[in-house]
Amino acid sequence: MKKLSYLCGAFLLFGATANAQLIDEKDVTVTMDLQPVLQLDMTTPDQIEFVFDEINEYYAGITKYGATVLRVSSTVSWDLYAVGRSTGTNGPEFWDQQIEYGNNNPNAVPDLPLSLLELRQAQPNNGAAAAAGLFADYSQAFSPATVPSAGNSLYVNGGTNTPPTTNDKYIGGHAGTSGVPGDDFLPGGSYLTQTGVTSDYFYVIDYRILPGLPAIFPNAADADGATFEDIVTVNGAGAYAEPGVYTMYVQYILLEDQ
Amino acid sequence: MILIRKSVFSLFVALFFSIQLHAQIHCGLVELVPNTTVNSLMTFDDFTSYNGGIIINSVAKIRVRVQDKAIIDPLCSWSLVMIIDNNPGAGTPANEWEELLQYGSGAATNPPMSTLEVRIRNACSTSPIDGVFQTFANNGDLIDIIAPLLPVTPAGSCVNNVNGPGDYMGNYDEFNFDVDIRVTPTFAYNPGIYQLNIRFHLEENP
Repeated sequence: MKKLSYLCGAFLLFGATANAQLIDEKDVTVTMDLQPVLQLDMTTPDQIEFVFDEINEYYAGITKYGATVLRVSSTVSWDLYAVGRSTGTNGPEFWDQQIEYGNNNPNAVPDLPLSLLELRQAQPNNGAAAAAGLFADYSQAFSPATVPSAGNSLYVNGGTNTPPTTNDKYIGGHAGTSGVPGDDFLPGGSYLTQTGVTSDYFYVIDYRILPGLPAIFPNAADADGATFEDIVTVNGAGAYAEPGVYTMYVQYILLEDQ
Repeated sequence: MILIRKSVFSLFVALFFSIQLHAQIHCGLVELVPNTTVNSLMTFDDFTSYNGGIIINSVAKIRVRVQDKAIIDPLCSWSLVMIIDNNPGAGTPANEWEELLQYGSGAATNPPMSTLEVRIRNACSTSPIDGVFQTFANNGDLIDIIAPLLPVTPAGSCVNNVNGPGDYMGNYDEFNFDVDIRVTPTFAYNPGIYQLNIRFHLEENP
């Protein structure tokens, strides 16, 4: 009888506690679709012409200041680089010869390396602390005509647009995904929200071609800037660039940090 | 034997009454109308939305209906809170949005929960947080709209913390809550599809 009373009490207690106060609920589910946006605005002439018809132009080169302006807007961490390309008429790493002038002197070489084009960016690359090569970017001043330098020679990679390595040059950011700001990427942002006279999202690009005399393009160098690839170094003493009309193009690539 | 039978009968009677007597404590009805889930999609695909954010006003309306019991209990009152849920069972870190799909390399971080802002408002500003965007820090965080265990403030007074019996039909300005949400992702986070759930929890005060 006593046990039954306990049981009764327990059930009563259970009955009292199992039915708590009235409740109702409603859910609001929020889904956010963050679509990546990488936008490179470029102001540049359709064609930039370098006409060498004076001796001083061969000696001192021709520089086109501010010929290209790059404006970056990106919602993700990004890298920006330039790569020299051609249609491959003379080979994947050479300018396309459209027409040749004069006779076919055996020392007149029609294969001009794409890397003879020099770039200079006005704003240093602030996302390249982890770069391991001789030159992390194109921000160094153009060298004097008499002092060969690989610091501004255009990055070329076998005629492809493959990204540069840690030893090569980027305009913004660099190779690697360390995740450490400033090491190998520039964070998402836009030139639209920048203030001041400089910005990591705004680059003014100068171009220079320095043929030299004889025209061997002494500043042409391979991707990491460690080896020159001017006409004489590649073809031997006595070689020089064949007069003619040549074309190539520079591809600017903005991509998510990688 | 008769005594045992009587006891068993008493037990069932007692159980029956215990259920009947304790189904509510002070109120006869407590409900949200409607209480179906609201789904909202925010798509960020240009710089305007990334920089300026997207706001959806009145993404949901929380309509409260609380009725007295047949025999009025003066202690009938209610509370309304919102609770954030990022589905931690899927491995979501406590302070981030749940990642449903990632675009690109994912080298950056996923957006923190605090990028979601929630604003509650009604015409009488009955909630102390009325009109001010609120953020959550971690899964399970709770924000009071009408806090629990407050003294009873009757409907129709159009002041803070109205929590007496009433409904959105009779006192719309006090028993209807508009929910606004805003997200401003800026440029710091991995692109992808993310999700959070806000649970609005209405409960009578004990």
